[in-house]
Amino acid sequence: MILNELKSLRWADLLLYSLLDPRSLYRQINRNEPKAFTLSFVMPAIVAIVEILTLSLLGKQTPFFYYKVTYGWILLFLCQALASMIAASLMDMASQFFGWKGNIREFIILINFSLFPRVFILPLVYIFRVFNFAPLFFHAFFSLGLLVWSALVVIQGVSEMHSCNFGKATLVFLFPAILIGTTLFFMMILLAICGIGYISI
Amino acid sequence: MDRNRKLLISILALLVLSSVIAIVDISMNMQQKHGMGISLTGPPVGPGVGVVRIEGPIQLNGIQSPFGGMPSAEQVIRRLNELEQNGDIRAIVVRINSPGGTVGATQEIYEKLWRLRKKNIPIIASMGEIAASGGYYIASACNVIVANHGTITGSIGVIAMSPNLRGLFEKLGISMTVIKSGRYKDILSAFREISPEERQLIQEIIDSSYRKFLKDVARGRQMSESDLEPIADGRVMGGESALKYKLVDALGTFEDALDKARQLSKLSEDAPVYDETRTPFEQLLFDIGGRFTGQGITVPDPRGLQFENSYRVEYRCVQ
Repeated sequence: MILNELKSLRWADLLLYSLLDPRSLYRQINRNEPKAFTLSFVMPAIVAIVEILTLSLLGKQTPFFYYKVTYGWILLFLCQALASMIAASLMDMASQFFGWKGNIREFIILINFSLFPRVFILPLVYIFRVFNFAPLFFHAFFSLGLLVWSALVVIQGVSEMHSCNFGKATLVFLFPAILIGTTLFFMMILLAICGIGYISI
Repeated sequence: MDRNRKLLISILALLVLSSVIAIVDISMNMQQKHGMGISLTGPPVGPGVGVVRIEGPIQLNGIQSPFGGMPSAEQVIRRLNELEQNGDIRAIVVRINSPGGTVGATQEIYEKLWRLRKKNIPIIASMGEIAASGGYYIASACNVIVANHGTITGSIGVIAMSPNLRGLFEKLGISMTVIKSGRYKDILSAFREISPEERQLIQEIIDSSYRKFLKDVARGRQMSESDLEPIADGRVMGGESALKYKLVDALGTFEDALDKARQLSKLSEDAPVYDETRTPFEQLLFDIGGRFTGQGITVPDPRGLQFENSYRVEYRCVQ
């Protein structure tokens, strides 16, 4: 059954929509045809390995690479998957503040598929590394660009999910970043004060 | 839609291809730089040489902070016990970088090393920048002493110092009320001149500690005390002079000391070294600790901070 599903190439539509048409991506997720929840976790796994390869290409190449590409990949995948789930939970929470129905499962799928554009970082950076033309700058540049692309996928998906305008969908998307950022900021300040107090007394 | 699907599959195939090329590229670069590629160097195993480090002023209780600190005599002895009990340790190198320290702490380390030497464990002293006074006392317990050409050593002698603040106190109009149980209870007080009787008492302690120093060095170096006495006047000397006066056996580095240890214990040239070096994380914490507690690169003198306990008899090179 899984083989038939793979052969049908219906899963490819999800990837294609995540690149070209996020609204269609959401509609496909909503139809649950094909079942996308498990499949969506392939995206963090692919993105994790691509990011490790890209950073290894740009950085110092030592035998530690083999650890990065095996254990490090699993670690990064788990972190990425956890981050997706936390972001999905917080976005779902923000949606409910607006009075919309909770839908965490679809949020997780949407966020996971929104990671897909980030896989292009490897071929893009590779070109500049081959020509040795400011690869680090272009890594930062493309990373930002692809991050914005991923964000747009989620925002449009949320807009389609709750039939809301782009502004509200952006607010929902930014809610986890604002909440986590503010909390971490204050936590760091308090930790630094406590740390300095502990050391200096 | 089929056409789009095929296009996407092509994109995915290209991504897989670029990933494979990246892996091959990285692996080839590594092989060029590191030869065999993967180099799995595990922790050292088998018979080898143990290293003990004595750094900074020698005290029974070292300077400690939440991030670490200077090793104390007790820690050094604990480390020596560990090495003694470890069946893989065939020789010990004592790395000394110390101007000396308190008499009691120095003698404890000396006696521990001497006991190990009696057990026929080859012990080699490797002197760093300075191994003077108490630092040399400890080194003399070792079978072989290796010093650098520029090592400051010698300073065989005993010293006790106390500040005399009487003049300052008089200027400031401060007087100290002392209630004591005996006439010598405030001996070496910083608030008055020392009396001839008190000086005599302290001199006796100094002389006794000096005789013990001389005796122990002579025993360790297998020299007579009369041969040692002419140079045991507190003078410091460099590595070359120390070799001339037979205070050290050879000039060389820490590596030379390790080689000598391997040679004396009949170990192979590549026998492992069991050092007590800090991990990079511990080093980072130690550095941070030093920064926050005001400790610099040079070793702080705790006497500067401990006014009350300002008299102590030391095997110490005054810098």
